[in-house]
Amino acid sequence: MRAFFATAAGRGIVVLFVGLGLAGLLEAEGLRKQAQIQQPGIERDIALGVTRPLVRVSRALHLTTPRHELQAAIGRSGEDNIDSTVHLSQPPLPPPAGPTHRPRPPKHRRGKPAKPVYTAARPLHVWVAGDSLAQVPGDGLQRLTVASIDVVGVESRLSTGLARPDLYNWYTRFNQVIAHVKPQVAVLSFGADDAHDYMAGVPAGRTVGAFGTPSWIAEYRRRVDGVTRELNAAGIRTIWLGLPIPDGPGFKRSFPVVNAILQSVARKHSKLSSYVDTWHLLDSAHGTYTPYLRVHGKLTLMRLPDGVHYTPAAGDLIAQAVLEQLRGYYTLR
Amino acid sequence: MLFPTVTFAVFFLIVLPVSWALMPHQRAWRVWILLASYVFYAWWDWHFVFLLGASTVVNHVLAVAIHRASGVRRRKGMLALALAFDLGMLGYFKYANFFLSSVDNAIGTSWIAQVALPVGISFFTFMAISYVIDTYRGQLVPASFARFAVFQAFFPHLVAGPIVRASELLPQLESPRDPRRVNLSRAFVLIVSGLFLKVVIANHLAVHIVDEVFAAPNQHSSLEVLLAVYGYAVQIFADFCGYTNIAIGIALLLGFEFPQNFASPYAAVSLQDFWRRWHMTLSRWLRDYLYIPLGGNRKGRILTYRNLMLTFVLGGLWHGAAWTFIVWGAIHGVGLSVERLIGWRPSSRAGEWLGRLVTFHVVCFAWIFFRADSFGSAGQVIVRLADAWGRPSPLVTTSVVLAILTGLLAQFVRPSAAAAFIGGFGRLPVAAKAVTVAVCLMLINTLGPVGVAPFIYFRF
Repeated sequence: MRAFFATAAGRGIVVLFVGLGLAGLLEAEGLRKQAQIQQPGIERDIALGVTRPLVRVSRALHLTTPRHELQAAIGRSGEDNIDSTVHLSQPPLPPPAGPTHRPRPPKHRRGKPAKPVYTAARPLHVWVAGDSLAQVPGDGLQRLTVASIDVVGVESRLSTGLARPDLYNWYTRFNQVIAHVKPQVAVLSFGADDAHDYMAGVPAGRTVGAFGTPSWIAEYRRRVDGVTRELNAAGIRTIWLGLPIPDGPGFKRSFPVVNAILQSVARKHSKLSSYVDTWHLLDSAHGTYTPYLRVHGKLTLMRLPDGVHYTPAAGDLIAQAVLEQLRGYYTLR
Repeated sequence: MLFPTVTFAVFFLIVLPVSWALMPHQRAWRVWILLASYVFYAWWDWHFVFLLGASTVVNHVLAVAIHRASGVRRRKGMLALALAFDLGMLGYFKYANFFLSSVDNAIGTSWIAQVALPVGISFFTFMAISYVIDTYRGQLVPASFARFAVFQAFFPHLVAGPIVRASELLPQLESPRDPRRVNLSRAFVLIVSGLFLKVVIANHLAVHIVDEVFAAPNQHSSLEVLLAVYGYAVQIFADFCGYTNIAIGIALLLGFEFPQNFASPYAAVSLQDFWRRWHMTLSRWLRDYLYIPLGGNRKGRILTYRNLMLTFVLGGLWHGAAWTFIVWGAIHGVGLSVERLIGWRPSSRAGEWLGRLVTFHVVCFAWIFFRADSFGSAGQVIVRLADAWGRPSPLVTTSVVLAILTGLLAQFVRPSAAAAFIGGFGRLPVAAKAVTVAVCLMLINTLGPVGVAPFIYFRF
């Protein structure tokens, strides 16, 4: 054995074990975050079990400092922090009991109010966000040749959603967007990665059951509703993109649950929010999954081999559906 | 299983010591490494393990049959059978969607189903084809089934090459590798440099400029589009060269030598020179199994041009069933023909630099078609290169420019400097080597964007 470790191969194994071990200590907090944001299951449990003592040792030896310093130098401080708080303002309190001054009802004007006008010089600012399904429709919106629409950002973050703020906190991001980006429209594509039993950021004292149970649906509805309310309160119209008809039985059961929530919340806030039904936009004439659709008479590939994600052609189709809705609310010149 | 992941690190920490422990017992070693390779492949989709197994069995049986057959007709028949199987399998998985949708479009039916593409199918099929053809040519005696199975499925090269020839790897599988003759320094330098190229350079460019610009070229300024085109040239180099560097380094740690796959391709002074430096194992495969059998340059000028065009158009088609890939191949075919026609061979230093500049830009122009989703999108990129100068360019950041410059300057690192660096690392004591590796891994992981993007060449 000793003779083997004196050889190049033996030394290579030593360098690999010691090098990776030390790298693990230097990267402990990053590894811990990676473990934390995995889907619940045995792999996550093992990863958390391994990284917990690793972080403790790394902190005790101050080995986390080089990574922190480097992150600070490149402007990415706090990247290893895990923020699982669902930042939603509380729903409006009911009015106090007793006689109060009753506000005068607003005078209604007759006829439809004039639609806001947007032009190339003063375009409508559209922000697209969501999980991996947001990217292609966002690209489609950017490809639209409508000069009065300015896509101010397409933020697509893989495997994220509203159920797992510990993975990526969209609630924090929405607040930043409201404060700094200030779009007029937010096109949101969420839910494909939320269809799991585990939900992070659940308020203290409340428990959430498995996916699809009444408690899961209630908590997810609270989040979708909260996001819609906050964006609408800032004057931002929300357009929720429903989940498309998928290939495979698992998603076929879970996506309609999410779609029903998105659709009902959009309906509830219909003054400033709406829903795009991508399920029926992309299904076959028989209402089944199909990877291809005829576009202008030509059979066109709409879906990637995974049976969920979109091709650019599908992105263009969804972008057109969004544009149709926008034309209903705004005059786009 | 992707190389730059914790999962692979754990996998390799188990495979490497066991591999060396079993090395003196070759039969056990082959079982172990085959098992490890199949687990590595099954990590993506276990169903396709059967495909890899079927390819191994069929090609081995036919190679042995070719070797044993006495009559020329019988040998030819067996070869045709093997090629029909390999190309049929490749054609089905890579081109079925394209052809069936074309047929449906032509006759107005809708009975197609989408066929999933198994990871690395082109690479292990090309290796099997070279094995069978070399046997047919009498250049190779078929190995035992177990050795051939390891040759085809060996995990370091399995999903994205390099395309190792049977004559290069099979002899290394004949006897136990010597643990004293492992080039440790080169292995670690290759692995770390490969990770840097992939995680820091390629991923950074993909996330911060290339993907965004190619998704909607019309939304971006000419400067952004130009840097996205240069950025893609660097990205695809860093991505693919990074992968093969890691693959070669891992094979070295296991005691095996793989051929080099890249040699500073953007320093090439001509397209011919470029193809001697870019994806070298594919270039020589196309040369030996397609260009030369077509007649090469032995049948006159016109047929030479035809053979060049055919080789490169088919090389383009190998990347995927799309007209954009065919145009990419055609640009290279035409470029090579023109070089041959005018006899381009720079003799002065200035001529070499002019050649480098022209070659790099022809290659970049061809990459536009390679990267774009459609002709329309490629056309938009080209038009946008000219008509939107002077507009705001928020994607042109210091880090993007730095990543592009790093990728380009890396092409001009002299082999002697690289050798000196490897030598320097080799002289470090074991502990210092381990610390250096650890610090490099920390730097790479911290500087790279969050998440692991798949390698570009996995889909080919």
